[in-house]
Amino acid sequence: MTNGEEITLVVDGVEVRAQAGMMLVDAAKHGDVEIPVFCYEPKLGQPVGACRMCLVEIEGIPKLQTACSTPVRDGMVVYTQTDRVQEAQNAVVEFLLVNHPLDCPVCDKGGECPLQDISMGWGPGKSRVIDPKRHFQKPIPLSPLIKIDRERCILCYRCVRFSQEVAEDEQLQLLERGASTFVGTFDDRPYIAPFHGNIIELCPVGALTSDAYRFRARPWDIEDAGTVCTLCPSQCNIKLTVRDERIQRVLARDNFEVDDGWLCDKGRFGYQMIESPDRITEPMIRQGGTLVPVSWEQALEAAAAGLRDAGERTAAVVGGPSSNEEGYLTQRIVRGPLGSPHVVSTYDDAVDRELLLELSRPQLAASVADIDRAESVLVLGTDPMHSMPIIDLRIRKVVRRNGTRLAVATDRPTSIDGVAEETARYSPGAMSAFVEALAAETGAEVYDRAEGELGADAERIAGILRPGSTVIVWAGEPSLAVADLAAQLDAKLLEIPAGANGRGLREVGCTPVAGPGLSETSTGLSPTDLCEALTEGDVEVAFLVNADPVRDAPNGPGWNEALQKAKFVLAISMFEDGSTKHADVVFPAESYTEKEGTVTHPDGRLQRVRPGVPHPGNARPMWEVLAELAGLLGDETGIDSAGEALAAIAQDVPFYARITEGEIGGLGVRWQEREAARNFPLAPGARPERSSVVVPTSHVGTTGGVPGASPAPASDQLQIGTYRDLWAAEVTDRSPALRFLRPTQTLELSPADAERLGLNGTPEVDVRQNGTSLRARVAIRERIRPGTAFLVDGLGDGAGALARHAVEVSAAEGGE
Amino acid sequence: MSPEFPYLPDEGVVVVQRGPEPGGVGGAYRAFGETLRGLKTTFARIIEGPVTIQYPEEKTPVYPRFRGRHKLHKFEDTGLEKCVGCSLCAAACPADCIRVVAAENDPDDRVSAGERYAEVYEINLARCIFCGYCEVACPFDAITMGHEYELADYNREDLVFTKEMLLAEPVERTPLRREGE
Repeated sequence: MTNGEEITLVVDGVEVRAQAGMMLVDAAKHGDVEIPVFCYEPKLGQPVGACRMCLVEIEGIPKLQTACSTPVRDGMVVYTQTDRVQEAQNAVVEFLLVNHPLDCPVCDKGGECPLQDISMGWGPGKSRVIDPKRHFQKPIPLSPLIKIDRERCILCYRCVRFSQEVAEDEQLQLLERGASTFVGTFDDRPYIAPFHGNIIELCPVGALTSDAYRFRARPWDIEDAGTVCTLCPSQCNIKLTVRDERIQRVLARDNFEVDDGWLCDKGRFGYQMIESPDRITEPMIRQGGTLVPVSWEQALEAAAAGLRDAGERTAAVVGGPSSNEEGYLTQRIVRGPLGSPHVVSTYDDAVDRELLLELSRPQLAASVADIDRAESVLVLGTDPMHSMPIIDLRIRKVVRRNGTRLAVATDRPTSIDGVAEETARYSPGAMSAFVEALAAETGAEVYDRAEGELGADAERIAGILRPGSTVIVWAGEPSLAVADLAAQLDAKLLEIPAGANGRGLREVGCTPVAGPGLSETSTGLSPTDLCEALTEGDVEVAFLVNADPVRDAPNGPGWNEALQKAKFVLAISMFEDGSTKHADVVFPAESYTEKEGTVTHPDGRLQRVRPGVPHPGNARPMWEVLAELAGLLGDETGIDSAGEALAAIAQDVPFYARITEGEIGGLGVRWQEREAARNFPLAPGARPERSSVVVPTSHVGTTGGVPGASPAPASDQLQIGTYRDLWAAEVTDRSPALRFLRPTQTLELSPADAERLGLNGTPEVDVRQNGTSLRARVAIRERIRPGTAFLVDGLGDGAGALARHAVEVSAAEGGE
Repeated sequence: MSPEFPYLPDEGVVVVQRGPEPGGVGGAYRAFGETLRGLKTTFARIIEGPVTIQYPEEKTPVYPRFRGRHKLHKFEDTGLEKCVGCSLCAAACPADCIRVVAAENDPDDRVSAGERYAEVYEINLARCIFCGYCEVACPFDAITMGHEYELADYNREDLVFTKEMLLAEPVERTPLRREGE
């Protein structure tokens, strides 16, 4: 009998069909028999049978068995209602309630508490215990976001298992033994980890409660609204808890294909940004230097006039959280009535269309669930913890449970280095050289095998990767070598874009090199050139859609100047930020909890963003505003609903053809799996001509493209790389609960360099390059490649501009 | 077949049977006899005296278990509110007229005895059906049905009673019916 084989068993006299290897608890559900559980949670991995709530009687086994950890077998006869079982269940509940305080009226879990439900359904109804219960100090903060009430804990191990086996931060422990056992961290330190909010949802009692949701509502006071979080490319499926038209909390809406049922803390607590009183809620026009609220008619008129005057000297920057509809309508306005080719949705240098097509090819695309099935995973050029957190958990899961072999090749040490079989470090900016060396190691003859350290690193990494069963999770410099590497290994690619909806925006035409559906179009300026053109005056008008280039672009200060010089700036923004400072007209933007539309997951899954709360103030659906703006500029789109906007996209993007909101549904649908994927503009076998692919010069690294030759900075200099920290985002600043996580600028360097530059024991340094200087704290990290150092991007201090430059570092003057 | 019938009698036609014409002894009895019989009751009650209650100067006493306007209670010794804002009353309410928004107690300046208290406690009495389920549901006996029944007002908004109004003693006490009354 193999796992997955269809078998038959009898539960309470009912014949039940199930798959072999399934746990009895799950199989019983097929026969509509519910077996109560506390500790069983398939998301956490193997069952532990800790709570003993699921005891059942199985014919042929003398003692009662735990249904959560007993795999079903053919012909098994199970009883869940006999006197013996009931006696055992009653006893377990009675034991749990020996120490569990009966403070349900004040407990936050009241009404949605499995312990309440199970006591009611399977408990004895009366307690015989008259002795005092055990007492702890309560409630005390476990972290700044979670409060723990140890009296209520029933020691089911769920939170500890999450910390040990899922997030693998290993901070939560069961301390003491026997009746004195309690959940805690070593030395009572705060439990700070990026996924720790999940333990609130896992806790079957009210022992772990969210500080932000504390006492906000009861389950009967609230409504659930499903949507998709667009704070990062993970696009986790979420469920908003809404009371009185306000978001009270965010819960995971399990979608195995996307998020495995987990959420990061950014998604869980970031909703506070949406509730922020600083939101822009009215359309505004700049009059006499300040932005004054006006009616939509006036604002739209002013916006249309500004854009009409500039015509083809307009450029649009579409930000990551924009929906496909917003992106599509924006590029339609810019390419259509204005006749300008300048539409960008990232701040990296634009790639060639041929290369874009090659890398987006449906045959090469990995789904997120492909990671579970792969025998080896290569993480290339990114730290998923910061770029797409939920992938970090999935990679940890497959390494732990499936024995998947993991290789990591990045410039900066990643959080998954510890579970990787092999890691390789290259210098910031030398990713392409590394990928070429790796492709050569796997047998691509176009590239020369690298010598020395680079060659050895590439060989080590290549040794891990299994041809035919590899997923490459990558981000960073796009190059043909990535596609070649995938082709050599018969591997699948999962690209992590910089913006939350980066893939969708690119596919609906928000890129200077391709129109909707990656079609051919006249090429616009790349983001870097665009910034320059705005400063020079060649482009006069900037149209910012949910974008804040001053903060998000690597060259933030440059964009600041560019927007200042621009003749007219139209900004769609949720908050007044560095970019709206220069705006002449501002439209209030929608958040993902108010928006109606679609987004495309990095693996090609179209998902629906659905409104859960009303628009604040005078804000309006942005598809409607953009369609009206298009109308004022002379393009009558005929779009009167979000559904019609999607229909317009489906018409213009051949591989989204005929997609509807109904088809996307609650769990989304990958376009690569639809029939319309055949319409992808690149035929399955065709490879672009190697010579036609232009690799932008800045991608070739600072070494001038010599593979393997890591730059040799002067003895007192360091090669700088930057990374976008998970918490270096607007949501951290705007959500009170998350504010403590806001990163401070830190220079991470290797112990060797610290020694060499005499920075041991120096708290702060000045980082200087070509006249610019910024202050950073010092962090010495062992796994950093000597000669390189890293700064945090996205803090608005211009650190991004230092990337790939050699800098001088000295102890801060006048510092502490 | 009689010629007065302008139609053909068939199964659908019912011929009405009339009584005798008024007049005579039967007619006289109907005019006076029945009236006197009624007046007998009237005269018999005159000697009992008036039973009208001069409302609103005088009020009908209510039974002790009469379900009038709700009251919220405080502990007599500590002065803390009994209500912890658990919302069970709101869950039990069939008319959905109770709204509770809870908040966390400040240990230095407690409102209720537990960790949480009701920051907002509102009962929309325009909607309340005075079933008393909230009183039954309350685990702390914090809410009870009072005796006050004079709830009429000029605005619907004024019928939403806030926590302060529910905690306050009614201005005038409704008279209670005494034992055996």
